[in-house]
Amino acid sequence: MKSPVLFRKQTQTYAAPRILDAGLLAFEEALALQRKIVAEVISGWGNETLIVCEHPPVVTYGRRTRMENILVGPQVLLAAGIGLYAVDRGGDVTYHGPGQLVLYPILDLRRRGRDVHFYLRQLELCVINALREHYGLNAYRKQGLTGVWVGPYKVASIGVGVKNWVTYHGVALNVVNDMAPFEMIRACGGNGQMAAIASFFKDEDLPIQEVKGCLIESFRKVFFQDGGGPAR
Amino acid sequence: MIHVYLPDMGENVTKATISYWYFESGAAVTEGSDLVEVATDKATFNVPAPCSGTLIEIAAHEGDVVHPGDVLATIEEDTVVEGEENEGLNDNV
Repeated sequence: MKSPVLFRKQTQTYAAPRILDAGLLAFEEALALQRKIVAEVISGWGNETLIVCEHPPVVTYGRRTRMENILVGPQVLLAAGIGLYAVDRGGDVTYHGPGQLVLYPILDLRRRGRDVHFYLRQLELCVINALREHYGLNAYRKQGLTGVWVGPYKVASIGVGVKNWVTYHGVALNVVNDMAPFEMIRACGGNGQMAAIASFFKDEDLPIQEVKGCLIESFRKVFFQDGGGPAR
Repeated sequence: MIHVYLPDMGENVTKATISYWYFESGAAVTEGSDLVEVATDKATFNVPAPCSGTLIEIAAHEGDVVHPGDVLATIEEDTVVEGEENEGLNDNV
């Protein structure tokens, strides 16, 4: 059996991406924005873009989600001020809320080797590099799974869509968010306990703007400069 | 008739699961529009219609596991009748 190709040197450089720092943005608005930009990129008229935002509390689930992975009824979510949204992305049920950084890269994989799984590995690398290089956290990926872990805890979840080889949806990194709502779901089908990276910094502030800057820098390096490199 | 194949989605993508058909058999489809969504790992991938026409057969159904190169569907391609095309042009004169 062939060993998986996790890293591949990019042989070309790309025009700088557009970065849209959208702040706190409703999930459905973020989705509408992504769809608009995806259509522009497919047509050849739009720039590749990274949308960075936080969402008001919302539980989202994909088409393959088993509904028993949402452990409470819609009324309970509603009472807790948490929205519920079905989406056309890969992956299972997840939660988004303030204090969690969400990256939605809209990239043209026609120019990037047309490899869906390699793209997932690159997304993981964005988070891994940022957490290792800027915060000294031993972030890593798990063989056969998608996401980023620190110790036994999953800190970032990934679910993407690809339309005409243009990507949407993306990666959510738990930074300083309240993790209690994750108790209402079996996140990502239940593969591992979730944590916010703030929990690894006792008695220290973790400014979310700083983390955002690190993620954007890492994103630029992985997708627009040197193609990243193997995680150590 | 045009077959719709599952494209090669990358070096390590050996299979995918049909997750959603945007059309039912017998529907008219337009070239480039989303035809079927497949899921692999944590990604969904939309396979577009390769031509405009009528979706005459769905060969792989929701929940089925498919592999790159497998036939997913068959489309009867629209044909333009020469007379009709000329008629349209004449109307604009």
